[in-house]
Amino acid sequence: MRNKWLPWLLLSPALFLIVSLTVYPLLNTFFISFREYNMYSLVTGMSEWIGFEHYKQVLSDPFFWTVLRNTVMLGFACVCATMLVGLLVALLLNTNFKGSKLLGIVILIPWVFPSIAGGIVWRWMFNDQYGVVNYGLTRLGLDMFDGFAWFNQPFTAFFVIFLMVVWQSFPFIAVSLLAGFQSISSSLYEAAEIDGANSWVKLTHITLPLLKPLLLILFILSTIWNFKIFDQIYVMTEGGPARGTYVLSLYSWSEAFNVLNFGKASAIAMLMFLVLMAFIISYIRLFREDKEVRA
Amino acid sequence: MSNKSPLQKVLIYLFALIVFIVSVFPFWWMVVSSLKPAAHIFSSTPSLWPDTMTLEHYLKIFLRANFWVYFTNSLIVAGIVTLMGTMIACLAGYALGRFNIKGKNLILLTILSVQMFPVVVLLIPLFIVLSKLNLVNTLVGLVITYLTFALPFCIWMMRSYFSSIPAEIEEAALIDGCTQMQAFRKVVLPLAWPGISATSVFAFIMAWNEFVFAVTFIQDDRLRTLPLALQQFFSRFTADYGGVMAASTIATIPVLLFFILFQRKLTKGLVQGSVNT
Repeated sequence: MRNKWLPWLLLSPALFLIVSLTVYPLLNTFFISFREYNMYSLVTGMSEWIGFEHYKQVLSDPFFWTVLRNTVMLGFACVCATMLVGLLVALLLNTNFKGSKLLGIVILIPWVFPSIAGGIVWRWMFNDQYGVVNYGLTRLGLDMFDGFAWFNQPFTAFFVIFLMVVWQSFPFIAVSLLAGFQSISSSLYEAAEIDGANSWVKLTHITLPLLKPLLLILFILSTIWNFKIFDQIYVMTEGGPARGTYVLSLYSWSEAFNVLNFGKASAIAMLMFLVLMAFIISYIRLFREDKEVRA
Repeated sequence: MSNKSPLQKVLIYLFALIVFIVSVFPFWWMVVSSLKPAAHIFSSTPSLWPDTMTLEHYLKIFLRANFWVYFTNSLIVAGIVTLMGTMIACLAGYALGRFNIKGKNLILLTILSVQMFPVVVLLIPLFIVLSKLNLVNTLVGLVITYLTFALPFCIWMMRSYFSSIPAEIEEAALIDGCTQMQAFRKVVLPLAWPGISATSVFAFIMAWNEFVFAVTFIQDDRLRTLPLALQQFFSRFTADYGGVMAASTIATIPVLLFFILFQRKLTKGLVQGSVNT
């Protein structure tokens, strides 16, 4: 194609927006995390440089470590379950049973569901007195769930949040993997069948190795999405009981917009970013036996 | 499917049924709860079917003067974000899908890594910038910030779509005397229509459902979008489950309709965006 300046002209609006609203703010967060930045600074633009003070304070606060543990455990559980359910559903849709096309559309309903509305519905389904889940479990003979208060203790509250997040995020994984399956040529499977391979061998020796790059990307995407969980917790538990369901995103947000301590909130956000990067880099390492990974 | 044993078939259908129920049940439960009279909602033996149907909760919602305001706000914001986002993503996607430009990989990497930042990391400086520009607590501020998080994936989707259109078609148009931009407008854009509609549906869904920016930047009741209004309503009237369910249903229906109308294109576009990397 000719024309040297035309593509740049076409790119300019997008680049302008992305650089001014993402790259610049990101650098800014980094700088603010070394400053005493509060409401007064917001109004006057004045803030004092205090170096690593916020980081020291955050890292020596046991609550931060609790929140970090919550975030990592919830995120990790969500990613594993999402990938596993997504893979199983993709395999199911790949069998081409009658109605599989319809099911492929239906599973995307949770994915388009507004997460605030979804959070409210899940909270309602798990209501202690009138929730349909407790009713169903009691009917199955599990009497301990009669009036069971899911949201009164962090662990069970997190469990409901975990279920909802997996419910929302498995469809995307399933649909992407299904497309991946269909991109593999059938002659490979036919050859394997001649050698007497069963379904399990075909899956572990042909499908999954060939889809490694795609699996890596999906792992990374779902890690990013599941570390960002905010809406669901905000609407279901507001971080309660007694800050028991805080995750890093909620902690940073609340520090910034409830406490108005923007400096400390930025430090928490930067730490969260570092944790996420550590996860992603270790994924890439794990997957990188072959240099298949291309962005 | 034909070479499966009867037992395998039964298992497949059983699993399919479970997946189906899990996917639709929360939606079903929301609609059913919104149609039950209050006395039936609060029952320790809930029925899976609204025995007595009532529209009282919907009437209550619609008679709240502000509900239409929230709905309109959501529609305005999501509409503008969809239009602008799709246009910008179209141009950028075309540039990245068709031209060999210096630093293309760096640009692609930047666009991808933008997806990586948890929104919370960007919120604080964005709040500072917007307050300097007097855009906090305005719908314009929301539109600008929504564009940022919708753009990367939209550009990604458009780029993979444009690269799938054979370049020969354009070259033929250029030989016939079209300028590059004419060829783009008259030849490529019509062909890219499925990709464009997928991208715009995606942008609409994202903008319609967004909550974090809204809760951070909007203080005025009259500027609230639906998800924000829903959350506020829910935390104030925890006991009014009928009303909350009716409002949630109304907030969910537009995106579901949109999705059902365009589902085939959207699924294709999504998959192309994530698989063709």
